[in-house]
Amino acid sequence: MPSSRSTIGDFSILPISIPPLSSYPKPATHHLYLRRNAPKIPTPDDPRSLFIINVPADSTHLHFRALFTALLGAGRFESVTFEDDRKTASQALTDLLPAQAARLASHASKKRKREDEEAQHAREEETARLPEPWSRPLRRSGGSAVVVLADERSIEKALKAVGKAARSGRYPVWGAGVPEQNRTLGSSWVKAHVRLTYPDKAAVEAAVDAFFTVYNRREKEAAELAKRLRNEPDEDGFVTVTRGGGRTAPAKREEAEEARRKMVEKADKKREELSNFYRFQMRERKKEEQAELVKKFEEDRRRVDAMREKRGKFRPES
Amino acid sequence: MAVNPAKRRKLDGEASLDQAISVAVRQPTTFVLETDELLKESRLDYEKSFEGVDDSLRRIKTSIESIEPHEPVPIADAAKKLKKAHKIRVPFPEPAPPKDSNYKLSYAKPEQFNVVGSYVSKTMVKTQEDRTVDMIIVLPREVLQEKDYLNMRYYYKRAYYAAQIAAALQKEFEGTANFAFECLNDNPLLPVVAVTTKKMSTKKSKRINEEDPTANAQPQAEFKIRVIPCAPDGYFPKQKITAAAGLIRSGGDEDKKTVHPPTPFYNSTLKAEASFVSYLRVLKQAEKTCASFKDACMLGRIWLQQRGFGGSVSRGGFGHFEWSVLMALLLQTGGRKDTAALSPSLNSTQLFKATIQYLAAMDFSKKPFILGQAKEAPDAIRESGPVVYDAIRQLNIAFKMSASSADMLHQYAKWTHSLLNEKSADQFTPTFITKVDQPSLMYDLNASLELPEAFDDSSHDSRGKLASFCNKVHSVLKRALGNRAQLVSVGTVALPSWSITEHPAKPVESRVSIHVIFDPVNASRQVDHGPPAEEKKEAEKFQRFWGEKSELRRFKDGSILETLIWSSTTPADLCEEIMRYILPLHLKITANSVGLTFYGRGFSSLVTSSQSDTAAFSAARAAFEAFEQDVRGLEDIPLHVRQIAPICAELRNATVNPPTFGSAKSAPRPMDVVIFFEASGKWPENIAAIQRAKIAFLLKIGSLLEEAKRDVTTHLGLEDAQSELENLAFLDVIYESGAAFRLRIHSDLEEVLLDRRTKDKSLDQHIRTESATLLANFRRLYTHLPLHTTMFKTYTTRFPALSPTIRLLKRWFDAHKLTSHFPPDLLELFALHVFLQPHPWPQPSSATTGFLRTLLFLSRWDWRSEPLTIDTSSQSNPTPDTDNQLSTPLDPAAASTRLQAWRNLDPAMNRVVLLAVTQSDPAGTAHTTLAGHPAPGKVVAARMTALARSAIRVVREKGVEIGAPDAGKQLLFVPALADFDMRIVLDRKALKAASRVWEGEDPEADADEGVVARKFKNLDARTGAMPLPVGVHPAALLVEQLSRVYSGPLVFFRGAEDDVVIGGVWNPLVQRRSFRVNLLGSYKPVAADGDSEMKDGGESEGSDGEDDVVEVNREGIIAEIARIGGDLIERIEVKGQ
Repeated sequence: MPSSRSTIGDFSILPISIPPLSSYPKPATHHLYLRRNAPKIPTPDDPRSLFIINVPADSTHLHFRALFTALLGAGRFESVTFEDDRKTASQALTDLLPAQAARLASHASKKRKREDEEAQHAREEETARLPEPWSRPLRRSGGSAVVVLADERSIEKALKAVGKAARSGRYPVWGAGVPEQNRTLGSSWVKAHVRLTYPDKAAVEAAVDAFFTVYNRREKEAAELAKRLRNEPDEDGFVTVTRGGGRTAPAKREEAEEARRKMVEKADKKREELSNFYRFQMRERKKEEQAELVKKFEEDRRRVDAMREKRGKFRPES
Repeated sequence: MAVNPAKRRKLDGEASLDQAISVAVRQPTTFVLETDELLKESRLDYEKSFEGVDDSLRRIKTSIESIEPHEPVPIADAAKKLKKAHKIRVPFPEPAPPKDSNYKLSYAKPEQFNVVGSYVSKTMVKTQEDRTVDMIIVLPREVLQEKDYLNMRYYYKRAYYAAQIAAALQKEFEGTANFAFECLNDNPLLPVVAVTTKKMSTKKSKRINEEDPTANAQPQAEFKIRVIPCAPDGYFPKQKITAAAGLIRSGGDEDKKTVHPPTPFYNSTLKAEASFVSYLRVLKQAEKTCASFKDACMLGRIWLQQRGFGGSVSRGGFGHFEWSVLMALLLQTGGRKDTAALSPSLNSTQLFKATIQYLAAMDFSKKPFILGQAKEAPDAIRESGPVVYDAIRQLNIAFKMSASSADMLHQYAKWTHSLLNEKSADQFTPTFITKVDQPSLMYDLNASLELPEAFDDSSHDSRGKLASFCNKVHSVLKRALGNRAQLVSVGTVALPSWSITEHPAKPVESRVSIHVIFDPVNASRQVDHGPPAEEKKEAEKFQRFWGEKSELRRFKDGSILETLIWSSTTPADLCEEIMRYILPLHLKITANSVGLTFYGRGFSSLVTSSQSDTAAFSAARAAFEAFEQDVRGLEDIPLHVRQIAPICAELRNATVNPPTFGSAKSAPRPMDVVIFFEASGKWPENIAAIQRAKIAFLLKIGSLLEEAKRDVTTHLGLEDAQSELENLAFLDVIYESGAAFRLRIHSDLEEVLLDRRTKDKSLDQHIRTESATLLANFRRLYTHLPLHTTMFKTYTTRFPALSPTIRLLKRWFDAHKLTSHFPPDLLELFALHVFLQPHPWPQPSSATTGFLRTLLFLSRWDWRSEPLTIDTSSQSNPTPDTDNQLSTPLDPAAASTRLQAWRNLDPAMNRVVLLAVTQSDPAGTAHTTLAGHPAPGKVVAARMTALARSAIRVVREKGVEIGAPDAGKQLLFVPALADFDMRIVLDRKALKAASRVWEGEDPEADADEGVVARKFKNLDARTGAMPLPVGVHPAALLVEQLSRVYSGPLVFFRGAEDDVVIGGVWNPLVQRRSFRVNLLGSYKPVAADGDSEMKDGGESEGSDGEDDVVEVNREGIIAEIARIGGDLIERIEVKGQ
C-alpha cells in the first residue's frame, strides 16, 4: 500500500494545496477526484473531457484554466462546465414552452427541426434570459464539473500529471495564476450582487419582450400543430385528439363548479326534508350519538394513558 | 296528528335514557380522567412513609403522661426551674411576662390526646413539602382559669406546658430525634414542639432490609411530629372574645369601662385554640356523608400548594385545613335559605370546581362571608381583615389571612374558574401541575422593602410587627396604584424554628416582598385624576393621601380636578415612581434608601418600549397607508387594484428595533408588501409566462409611480430564483423620506396552475414535489403572511404587552443565534400563544412576564408529539358562553392527528418538524416550513428547547433576582459560544461598507454594467443619491449562501444583524462514509495524503472494505469559507484550536 493513495474507486485523486489567508492562517488541502468523462448520453466531446467531482465552492473558469496550465502547460485547457450550469441551461428550455406546446411537442418530436432554425431560436431564447443576480455563483460543496481539454492526448497526460503530483507531494496551488482580486470573494462580491439585483430596467424590458415573442410564436406553432394533428392521422393511422384551442376551458370549469354546487344543494335539501321523518331514523341517530360519546370517552382514556406514559405529566411541579 | 300513546311513552323513555347518558358524559371527561390519575399518583403510601409513627406517638403519649404534676408557682420561678433542670427556655410569646409578675403556673396531666390533621384523614400528597403528623394535647382544666383569655395569660400557660412537654420528650427520645420549637402556622402566639425523627428504630429497619434488599435504596422514612398544646373544647366564653373585643388591656384595671382597641387576631387564635376537636368532628362528619370529600380535599391541597398557599401566616393563611373546613361547611350550609351549597353526591372534581367557584365569587376582604346563621351582631364579626365566619363555632376561619392574601386567593380562584369554563383549553395542567407562584413569571414588578426601625405598630393585636407593617404597605399601595394594578401582593418569609434551649428566634429577614400585576389598560397612564375641587371632603382626603404631589388643574372640558402628574413613561417605571413617592410619605422610610429595592427592569435595557417606539411603528404604518393611496391613485394600471397587504414584521409592530427611516447614511430597508388585482382572464396560462408578465407589470407600475410622484424612485429587483416558475422580480419603491417598500404581485391564475400541476398524476414525481413546494411558497407569501400581519396588527393593539414581548423574544433568539432558522412569524405565534392561553395566570401585562412565560412554554413544549395550536376563535368572541356555535374553534384532536400522520410519514423529520396550527392554516405548516424545508430543522428545534429549559431553570433558581438590573441580560441573553464547533467573526467595517452600495460605483466590478452607469447620469454621483435598498443584510446574505453551499455537513447559526459572530456546527451524522458521486460536502480520502494522521492510516490498512472511505475535509471547508467571505471575515475560530 502506498503511503498516499492516488486512486479511489475509478477516480484519480488530485490533492490541491490551499494557501492560508489572514482570517484562517492554516494551510489546508483540498481533494479533487477525476476520471474520464463517460456520461449516460454520449456527446462527441467525451473522449477529450474529464469528469471531476468535489470541486471547490469558489471555482471558476479561471481557476481551472490555471490549474490545468500548471499541470499540463499552457494551451491545453478548453472549457469547464459546472453542474449547476448544465441544469439551468436544460431547464430553461422546457419551462418556457406554453403548456399546450409542451404536450404537443412530445408527440411531434419525431420531426427534426431544421438546424439553422433551431440555432436562431436558441439565440432568441438567450436574449429572453434575465440577467444573473450573481457575478460569481458559488458551487455546491462536493459538486461536479466537466473539463474539456484540447485533445485526447491531453487527457492521458493530465491523468499522468495528476498521479505524479499526488505521489510527489508537490501539489498544485489553488488560485495560483488567478488575478489577485478573484482569489477571494468577500465584500466586492456582495456589493456586486446588490448591484446586479437591480439590473437596468431597459434590459429587463427587452428580455421580457423577447420572451413574449418566443412565447407567442410557440403558442402559435402549438395551435397550428394542434390543428394539423387534428386532421392528420399519424403513421399508425390514429388521429390525436386535442383541445380546440382558445380559452374555453376556464369558463367551462366555472360552469361545472356552479352546476355541481347546485346539485349538492338540491341533494342537501332533499336529505333535510327526509331526516327525522321516520322513527327508525331518530333511533339510529340516537344510537349514533351514543356511539360517538362512547368513542370520545375511549379517546380521552387513551389520551390520558398516553400522558401517563410520559413521566411527570401527573406530578405537580415544585 | 294522533300518535299511539303506547309508542309515545316508549319514545319518551328512550329520550330520558339518552338524556341521562349525555348528562353523565357531558362532563369534560378528559379533565375527570386526568384528575383521577393525578389522585392515584399523588396518594401517599402511609405504611412506608410513616413507618413507625404509631410507635413514636405512643411513646410521646406515655412520656407526657408520666410528667410529674406540680402546684402553682410564680411564673418566673417556674421558668427558672425548668431552665435549671432541663436547660429548656420557656418559649413565652412577645411580650414576655414581666419578671415580677404574680401569675402562677402549674402542671397537670393533659385532659386528652388526639391525632388530628391530614395524617388522620389520609389526604396528604406525595409532593407536599413536609410530612407532618399533628398531635394535640388538651390542657387540663385544673391549670387554667376562665379569665386566662385576658392579657396573654393563656398563652403563657400554654408556652410553659409546651416547654414541659419538650423536657419530657427530650428525655424519652434522647439522641434519636431532633427537637425544636416552632410557631404553629407562623402564629407568634403559639409555639409548639416539633419532633423530627432522626433514625427511627434501626433494629426494625434492618430486619426489613434483610427481607427485602430493594428497600435498602429507600431513604429512611422521615417525618415530623408536632406536639400541639391546646385549650379544652369551648373553654373560653365566646361572647367575650368577639372580633371587636380588646383583650390586651394595659394598666390592669380590667373591670373599668375603658375602651380597649380590638384585638381580632388574638381573639380568633384563642377561639381556634378551643375548637380543634370540634373541627375534627366536622371533618369526620363530612368524610362520612360525602364519599369524594377526601379526594376533593387532596385536589384542593394540590391546587393551593401549586399557588404557594398554606395554613401559615406567611403562606397566606389559607391551607389545606381551611380548604377542607370550608368545603365541609359548604356541604352543610352556605346555600340559599341556609340550605347546603354543595351536594354530597358530587364527585371530587365537581366538589373542587364548586369550591373554586365559591372562592371566585366571594371576596372575603370586602364583605364578611358568613356560613350559617350568625346570632351575633355584625359588629362582632366584622374586622379589618378578611372574614370567613363559621357561625356555629363562632370562628373566623380566615383569621390568619391578610387582606393581601385574600385578594390573591380571590384572584387565583377567579383565574382558575375562568379556565375551567373554557372548553377548548387544556384545563388540567395549569390547574394542578404548573407551579404558579413564581414571582418572576407571575408578577410584572417585584420589589422588596426593609422594615424601618422607626415603624411603630399602632395596633395592639399580636400579629407581630412585620405582619402589621405588611398590611400597612398593602393598603397604601393598593390605594396608590388603584386600577393600574390587577393585584398587589405583599408578603413575608416564614418564621424560623428554634432550638428548645434558646430564646425564640426573630424573623430571619425583616423585609417584606412586594409584587404587582399591572392592568395593561391603565398601567401606562401618566396623569391621575382625583376628585373635583368642589367636593371639598373628597378632595381633602385625596390631598391628605397624596400630600404635595396633588395639585389642582383645569382641563379642556372645563373641569377642575385634583391631579397627579408622573414623569415616567413605561408601566414599570411609573409604578416604581409612585411607590418611591408614596411609601416614604406614609411609612417613614427614606425615599432612595437601600430599604426599597426593585426587580422589575432587568430586561428593559434590551428592548425599549417607550412611546417613541410606538410612534415609530405608527409612522411606518402611516407611510404604508400613503404608499397604498399612491398606488391606488395611479390611473393607467391595466388591472384594478383590489388590495395592498403588508407582510413584514415592521408593519405588525414586531421588529426588535423600531423601523427608522430618513437617515441618509444607511441604505433604505424595504418593507415587504403584496398587491392583489381584480381577477382577470388576461394572465397567460403558463406559470413562466405569468412570472414574466408580472415583471412587465412591475415595470409599468414603477414608471407610473415615478411619473406621478416626484419624491419616488423605483428599482426593479431580481429575486435569487432557482427556477423560471418562481416569482422572478420585485419592485422597490423608495420615498425621499426614506420609507421604502418592496412590492410583489399576486396572480390568482398562478395558484390555480400550480395546484393543477401538483395534483396532475401524469407528471413526474419530482415535478409534482417541486410544484407543491412552489405552491406552499405562494400560499405563504400571498395568503398566510397578509392574514398573519392583519391578525398581529389587531392583537398588538388589543394586548399592549404583546409587541414588547415579541420584540424581547426575538432578542433572545438573536442572542442565541437561532434567528436565521426561524421565520419571524413563527416567533410571533409563540408569543401570541402565551397571550391566548395564559393559564394559570392572566394575560401577561408586561414584556418581562410575557417573555418569561413564552420561554416557559417553549421549555415545556413537546413538539415531537404536540402541535402548537393558536385558537383565535374564543378571543374574537368575548362571551364564550352565549354563542359558541358562531365561531369555529380549532379542533385540537384534528391537529394532533395531522401531526401523528406526519410523524408516521416522515419519522426522521426531514420535511416537517414543528406544526403550528392556526385558524387560517389548519394544515399547520405555513409558518414552519420555508421553501420545502422545515424551519427550524430538528437539530435547531432541539437546541431551542434545551436553551429554553436552561433559561427557565435559571429563572426558577434566581426568583425575583432575575429582574435585577443586568441580571436577566447576563443570565439569559449571553450565548454559549463554546457550544459551536466553529465561530466566524465578521469584520464590522467591511460589513458596513458592503451594506451601502450605490448604483454604478465600482468601475472594476461594473465592467459588464457600463450601460447602467451611462444611462443614469443623475445617479452616478454619489453625493445626494440614496444608496441602493438592502433587502437582506450582507451578513445574512453570506450565511444564506454558505448554508446553501454546505447544506450537508454544516449548520450555521446567526443572530441579529449587528451580531458579528456566526456559529457553525458540524453535522454529526455526516462524518465518514464510503465514496461515491454526489456526496454533499467536501470529502477527503481517509489516510490518503501526507497530512493525515498515522492512526487513520492504520485503520484503513486493517480492513480492505474501508478502502473507499472518505471523511469530511474540515480544514478544506473552513479555508473555502475564508475565501468566500474574503474581507468580510475577520477571523475564523475553531473549537479546540
